[in-house]
Amino acid sequence: MIEMLLVVGQTLAGVALAPGLVGSIRWTKARLQGRRGAPLWQPYAELRKLFAKERVVSHNASWLFHAAPFVVFGTAVAVLSLVPVVFVPTGFDSIGDLFAVVYLLLLGTFFLALAGLDTGSPFGGMGASREMTVVALTEPTVALSIFALALTAQSTNLGEIIRQTVAEPARALGPGHLLAFAALFIVTLAETGRLPVDNPTTHLELTMIHEAMVLEYSGPYLALVEWGAALKLLIFFAIAANLFLPWGVAFTPSPVALVAGFALFVVKIGALGVAVAVLETRVAKLRLFRVPELLSASFVMALLAVLSTFLVR
Amino acid sequence: MDGLFSQLVVLGSSGMLLTAIIILWRRGVPAYISAYRWQSWLLAALTACVGYFGSDAGLYGGAIALVLLKGLGIPYLLRSMERRFGAQHELRPYVNTETSLLAAGVLVLFAYALARPWMAVSALPTRAGLPLAMGLLFVSLFIIVSRKKAITQVIGFLMLENAIALLAVVGTYGVPLLVEFGVFLDALMGFLVMQIFVYQIHETFDTMDVEQLTRLKH
Repeated sequence: MIEMLLVVGQTLAGVALAPGLVGSIRWTKARLQGRRGAPLWQPYAELRKLFAKERVVSHNASWLFHAAPFVVFGTAVAVLSLVPVVFVPTGFDSIGDLFAVVYLLLLGTFFLALAGLDTGSPFGGMGASREMTVVALTEPTVALSIFALALTAQSTNLGEIIRQTVAEPARALGPGHLLAFAALFIVTLAETGRLPVDNPTTHLELTMIHEAMVLEYSGPYLALVEWGAALKLLIFFAIAANLFLPWGVAFTPSPVALVAGFALFVVKIGALGVAVAVLETRVAKLRLFRVPELLSASFVMALLAVLSTFLVR
Repeated sequence: MDGLFSQLVVLGSSGMLLTAIIILWRRGVPAYISAYRWQSWLLAALTACVGYFGSDAGLYGGAIALVLLKGLGIPYLLRSMERRFGAQHELRPYVNTETSLLAAGVLVLFAYALARPWMAVSALPTRAGLPLAMGLLFVSLFIIVSRKKAITQVIGFLMLENAIALLAVVGTYGVPLLVEFGVFLDALMGFLVMQIFVYQIHETFDTMDVEQLTRLKH
């Protein structure tokens, strides 16, 4: 029972934290570029503003257009409840493993692409087609890189993987882990629309991917989509931080462990956020036709990670 | 202790393999040079690591020589070579980037399959690095045959030489220092000869595209 409460609690904490993560990346980026930058809570203010606005929906929109924001947000929350953020539950491990995580995330992306096509606007269709191109290349990489971890831990359960890594810390230095981490980091940038693949700050530019799909959304729907995107970023960061550097995650529901786990989690995703901000300041956006090259590089890294764990045992 | 040792060896070897894969992905010559430099530093660190865990003081000397020659010397020469030619336009390799990355993955898979029996008979804690070293060997060969620019082929050759050194370190805890120095000298001489060739090619054809060499037939 207490585990159930803790899982619900950590999911809610993650949902509350996600816009702050986006805000902190934006703030760090602004400081690095010599601007003062909006405060960390700016995304919260934006969400509040959007929720208060009316929604404008195209006449051509079908039920898909109305359903997609809820699917995007709902799948993101569901995935977050499966990922051990602060606490690793033991009781109901069997609910979802890494396959559920990967494909639930994909379901949200799929619906977003459908919604982009739904209204028949040229931008939406373009964004959807690009998103599908990128996702078709990233999805096997995500599955493979987490699979490399699952192979060493002999389990596809995220909690079990964390437990095994903590039990044998030498594994975290292994090539399987590092290559898989590098692959997952590149994929994180691609999946969450960060810079070398997609520019999160542009609107109405011919190169955009994510923004093109959500161009038709307004008001509360846009708020849900944006929040879902922020959650996706948090989920990928949580997977990267907790699966590859699992120290600090609480295994027992004691208050000290939980508080320490939460603090360490904030530190870890903060560090990842700073890394992303530095990277985004340093690199330019790749040409769309070079994106498959980057993604195939990350695929090869994930493949090598699986190879080195699978064949050297 | 052995567990940590073999983890470190595998880590260093896969880092070296990764630098070769970076070459397949990047296009600018400065990026190639820095990838080579990283690879050489990793090789030196790996040699020193094997020297420490295998308590073989001779390997420290090898590591220092590696840093001086391949970590500092050759990258410096490469950079001066690159500066002399100025900003060269990118050449399309024979195999496009995505395919060559996937080919590198297949080559590494092949190396794993090839090294399996070897790993089965070896009892050294470093044996997990063997397939990675062979993979690096194949990937560097692939770099040589699939790129058109002479300077990239030179870097591919230098990586091939690194791969062989890595193979010696993880396969037999390094060769005697005297042999090592002989190999270094050979590599340096080979590099200098190739440098002269590259200058000649550039002088004659005003480009470093080795495809132009077929014009010599007519």
